[in-house]
Amino acid sequence: MSMRRTCGGLAAMLVASSAFADLAFADTMTMWVRVSGTNAAAHLVDLWNATHGDKIELTTIPDNQMVTKLATGVQAGEVPDLVSFDLIYMPDFMKAGFLTDLTADLKANPNFNSVAQAYKDIATYEGKIYGAGFTPDVSILIWNKDLFKKAGLDPDKPPSTIGEIQEDAKKIHALGPDTYGFYFSGSCPGCNIFTTSPMMVAAGSKILPANGDDPTLTGDGVKQVLETFKAMWDEGLVPKSAQTDNGANFTAMFKSGKIGIQGCGGFLISDLKHDVPDMNFGVTFLPGVKEGQVSAFVGGDVVAIPAGSKHAALAKAFVAWELTDEAQLEGLAKNNILPSRPALADNKYFAADPRIVTTAKALGIGYVPWVYHFADMVNSDSSPWINMLQRAIFDGDVDGAIKEAREKMKAIAAE
Amino acid sequence: MSTSRSFDQWRGWLYVAPTLLFVGVFVVIPFGQLIVMSMTDRSLLGGGKFIGFSNYVRIWNDSGFWGALLFTVKYTIVLTPILMILGFALALLTADNTPLKRLTRTIIFLPVVIGLSSSSLLWFWLFDEQVGLLNKLLVDLRVIAQPMVWFASADLAFWAVVISITWKVVGFGMVLFIAAIQSIDREILEAAVIDGAGYWKRAFLIIVPLSRRIILLATLVSAIGSMLAFDQFYIMTSGGPRGQTFTAVYWIYQNSFVSFRLGYGAALSIVLTLIIFVFSTLQIGLTARSEAQ
Repeated sequence: MSMRRTCGGLAAMLVASSAFADLAFADTMTMWVRVSGTNAAAHLVDLWNATHGDKIELTTIPDNQMVTKLATGVQAGEVPDLVSFDLIYMPDFMKAGFLTDLTADLKANPNFNSVAQAYKDIATYEGKIYGAGFTPDVSILIWNKDLFKKAGLDPDKPPSTIGEIQEDAKKIHALGPDTYGFYFSGSCPGCNIFTTSPMMVAAGSKILPANGDDPTLTGDGVKQVLETFKAMWDEGLVPKSAQTDNGANFTAMFKSGKIGIQGCGGFLISDLKHDVPDMNFGVTFLPGVKEGQVSAFVGGDVVAIPAGSKHAALAKAFVAWELTDEAQLEGLAKNNILPSRPALADNKYFAADPRIVTTAKALGIGYVPWVYHFADMVNSDSSPWINMLQRAIFDGDVDGAIKEAREKMKAIAAE
Repeated sequence: MSTSRSFDQWRGWLYVAPTLLFVGVFVVIPFGQLIVMSMTDRSLLGGGKFIGFSNYVRIWNDSGFWGALLFTVKYTIVLTPILMILGFALALLTADNTPLKRLTRTIIFLPVVIGLSSSSLLWFWLFDEQVGLLNKLLVDLRVIAQPMVWFASADLAFWAVVISITWKVVGFGMVLFIAAIQSIDREILEAAVIDGAGYWKRAFLIIVPLSRRIILLATLVSAIGSMLAFDQFYIMTSGGPRGQTFTAVYWIYQNSFVSFRLGYGAALSIVLTLIIFVFSTLQIGLTARSEAQ
């Protein structure tokens, strides 16, 4: 009896000490995430926190302050353990030495092989890997099936070339003066690199230079897409307000039900299902100039470990975990968010809606430009990219606009 | 005797020490750092090699900056008189302390307490072609045939911002002018009435001259505020169309935080500070001269 009691007591002590050890040695990591990635990141972090002893504390940073915060944080030695940011800043951050080398860990991770190639490319610098796809987004073409039907078009046949977009847009605009065939945000550089540049890339063009000698705005695709946009603008197929839309109406116009076709992000699917549940819409890849040409811009966030992270080993464990089937499916797909591994597009959560499957597959065909100074070349309000679009589409000087943008982009890339 | 004078000197320094410390820590040292940074190629991502006056040479050739500065000066020249004249007119109308006039000036002053970003966002949507109430009002009143896209043209965008800022800050000038008007000795105005001076004569020959110090102060504050304009253009026009509504500060922001060129941004800031300093000194000098006369 006494022996049994002693053993029981020891066992109880062991269990208690093990629980205590968990509590005593559990760590809390800090993670910064930009506002527009917070929703998706929170799902993953919640799942991690629910299934792990070590916790993550999420801090939201305004999108336009992330670079400043991280740069000053690294220089002051005050960095989070993990950071999730817009993938286009990856080349600048890697070159500046802000991030921890994850090459060995990720190359040894079997899940990393199936991550969308665009994420692998953008996170590689001089042969080393510094981050992984985290909360993806990708551009797609969306069309309003109800308007297609009313205009006498086949609602199940989306336009498969930029020329077909124009033809369909004409028929939709013929429905009435308040109904428009096509929409794009004419003063939003980010929206257009996301939705317009893939049409050019699909047609074989290269957009941005990685250095001053790199080919820039090459091929006929750039010119053909700009000319088609200009023609649609001149014919009144696009609302006048598009000219000044700095992104504030990027999704609102399509939600109004008066727009036939628009390039947009995969995030719009869940928005539309929530905000306008009765709208009948379809999703397809962004087309190029000829039949069969398709592309997409891979966006969203990458996750990386800032140099100087105080819990680097634990942070690496998180990066490995977020690529697992569990995190990708239960953390992302379950919440209508795309997994960063396109092979997981066909999953039980997306099965009910083929439009999400199409969007997830767009990740596999998408591109992301590996360039320094992306913000300067594209995202800035005075960037050569947005100036080119505006001068070509609204002023009508397509050749002059391309020539000027090419020179300015090369000058920026040469800095 | 000498000990007492020395003590007085130390006491004087002691009195101003907190202010000197504050100004030193928060103005002089950062400004010194700004000057040093302006002579480097410092990027937001690191670096910081000394490059002498290269950034200043670059400014000389930066047509974007000079265009933005010219636009800022135009904005200041147009907006300042509007704010001063309208503010003074409203002050004349509401200076008496009757309940209705107190209520009126409270209503006019209300927008002053709203944040500039919030008010800019409010006006951005009021001017919207699709859902903006202003367009609807103008169409309903048959002033325009169809809704206008205000921000598609640089001139319209400029006036849209001027309208929004006038609504936002005219109440501030009005309150200053009311204080000036109310501080005028009533006997002077009563004597003028007895001498047969009408309302306009009293306004232009007595009230305006006696409010001159406040008018000049308000003009200076308003002009400096306009030269530093940023939020309203960032939110309402995004510098567009085609970069025609960039202000000097917006251009500095673009270079420093979008293009990451902190060293160049610092040099631009120094140049803008010097320009504002010269204008302010001129204005203060003119004020002093007119006071003396």
